[in-house]
Amino acid sequence: MNQRAIQMQLGIGAMLVAAFLMFYAIPNWVSSPTNIRNVVLSPRFWPYVLGGLTGLVGLGLVVFGRRMSASEAPLNEAIDDPRAGALRLMAMAVLMAVTFWALSRIGMVWTSMLSFAALAFLVRTRHPVTALVCAVLVPLLLYAFFAHVAGVAIPQGEFVRLP
Amino acid sequence: MSLIDSIMAGFSLVGNFEAFLSLAIGVVIGVIGGAIPGVSATMAVALALPFTFPMEAINGILLLLGVYKGGIFGGSIPAILIKTPGTPASSATVLDGHPMAARGEAGRALGMALWASCTADLISNLALILFAGWLASFALSFGPPEFFALILFSLTIIAGVSGDSLLRGALSALLGLLLATIGLDLIYGTNRFTFGDPSLMGGLNFIAVLIGLFAIPEIINTVWHPTGHIGTVQKLGSKWVTFAEYRRCFKSIVRGSFIGVFLGSIPGIGAAPAAFLSYSEARRKSPNKANFGKGEIEGVAASEAGNNGVAGATLIPLLALGVPGDVITAIIIGAFMVHGLQPGPMMFVMNVDIIYGLFIGLIFSSALLFVIGGLAIRGFKPAADIPKRILMPTVLVLCTYGVFAVNNNIFDVGVMFVMGWVGFAMGRYHIPAAPFLIAFILGPLLEDNFRQAMLMSGGSPEILLRGPITWFFWGLTALTVVAITRGTLDKARDKG
Repeated sequence: MNQRAIQMQLGIGAMLVAAFLMFYAIPNWVSSPTNIRNVVLSPRFWPYVLGGLTGLVGLGLVVFGRRMSASEAPLNEAIDDPRAGALRLMAMAVLMAVTFWALSRIGMVWTSMLSFAALAFLVRTRHPVTALVCAVLVPLLLYAFFAHVAGVAIPQGEFVRLP
Repeated sequence: MSLIDSIMAGFSLVGNFEAFLSLAIGVVIGVIGGAIPGVSATMAVALALPFTFPMEAINGILLLLGVYKGGIFGGSIPAILIKTPGTPASSATVLDGHPMAARGEAGRALGMALWASCTADLISNLALILFAGWLASFALSFGPPEFFALILFSLTIIAGVSGDSLLRGALSALLGLLLATIGLDLIYGTNRFTFGDPSLMGGLNFIAVLIGLFAIPEIINTVWHPTGHIGTVQKLGSKWVTFAEYRRCFKSIVRGSFIGVFLGSIPGIGAAPAAFLSYSEARRKSPNKANFGKGEIEGVAASEAGNNGVAGATLIPLLALGVPGDVITAIIIGAFMVHGLQPGPMMFVMNVDIIYGLFIGLIFSSALLFVIGGLAIRGFKPAADIPKRILMPTVLVLCTYGVFAVNNNIFDVGVMFVMGWVGFAMGRYHIPAAPFLIAFILGPLLEDNFRQAMLMSGGSPEILLRGPITWFFWGLTALTVVAITRGTLDKARDKG
């Protein structure tokens, strides 16, 4: 994407977000008492101001974007295989979702060990043995610090529990 | 409390082994973090923050300040040795530092970087001590309209100068402000975007948001492009910087330090512009200006003095006004909050011992940086050799533990992951993250002061222009918008 495409997409996106906020999200998801005498003190006033400003900034981005040259070079560094990159990103999103789900079920230490190893292999580490050793040691050391020094109740999960 | 009493109170807090050990550990972590390309001083401070929770407030904050100062210097090591700035602030150091390294004088360049950094750091700390108290006593007379105008000015300048477009900076700040509205309303206690979920009623956790924005995107970037190239490490060489060279560059170092102090005390400008301005001033005034860019030691001195001169000065608005001067001080404000402290003018009244304790610690940090930095220069090789594809999983696990530890809440880990994707998308769309984070921190303060002002005036907006202080900040805001818009238009015209 070049500068112009980025600017236009951002501008249109900002205007859509502003419209969504002002016509749907704020009326439905921000509660306000009915007996407010002054509109500027309403809990909805500030989100409306921000929504309006977001729309204006979006409009500004579109106006300036239209004046930019469409033939500028892409801004982001290209990678060898964008399709593989996109697949890795999807795998990362899944890894995060699974990590979040597993934290309370199998505990933070075991989840962290698995997510460490999974991420190391996802980024195709050239040091698999080191990665596996670190995947075991780093979560254990952090558990020791947070649970026994900082006194944080690290989630232990329903299966194997650590001292 | 007299000045002597305040200093003694400060000494009673930091005059112990733990305080100095915390500071020294912080400097070590900072130098290592700054020296590892892909970690940066910002990420190092963010990752160190959760480890300060069990510490005494003063020790925890000193540790983070040590990380900050060490990180800014540490960034110069890879800038010189592998032409990869460890922090954006070190970009100017590459210009002359790397050509020196390429001809076998890396040790000399790094030595000068260290001496210039420590000198600038000391000058910056002294400026902080001199000006923060004065500014705080002045700010004691601020009411809600003055604070509203001040915060609006800070956000405008941060949005304007953080990226390459005022509009994108403004969009970033507006998104941060919108995110800050999540939670219970400040006055009526009604729900705003909470969807009935108790986890959202207190708003999003600040540390989850900041770690998500500044550490997770780096991991996602590695996933997107795992083989991002890192250059070859140059040898230190046998030549070392001499005192005569330091004396020759001293004027540029002092000038750069003052440029850093001046720019650092304005919220939002940060270290990179200070380094480049200091570098260009040194080149303009130097008799060796033809050598700049080809390996001139004065260029290294000037850019390092510029970026380190910022490190103490960014704490001036933080401590005196409660407004973070850059992203790192925005993270450090988190440490204050975790320990129940609210930086700002009242801190100079209520917690004067902590303020003076920090001042004393900061003065010692320059000396510690000199010693630890000298060792780090020689021991850089292992840090440079840490494989990024082992480092990033470690960062992921550190982030997970650290964010959970803030509130013992798994929900915060989810917030961090989501903010990581937001940060990654912002990076791809070249939206600066700094205005987002600072607006997220200052958002509740901005809204609260606005609504308090409206309550005071019965809803009349005239109160927002009630006196010379508000006029001053409104004038500065208008000037900033005009100057940045003109600059953007001029740049567009030059391109066209």
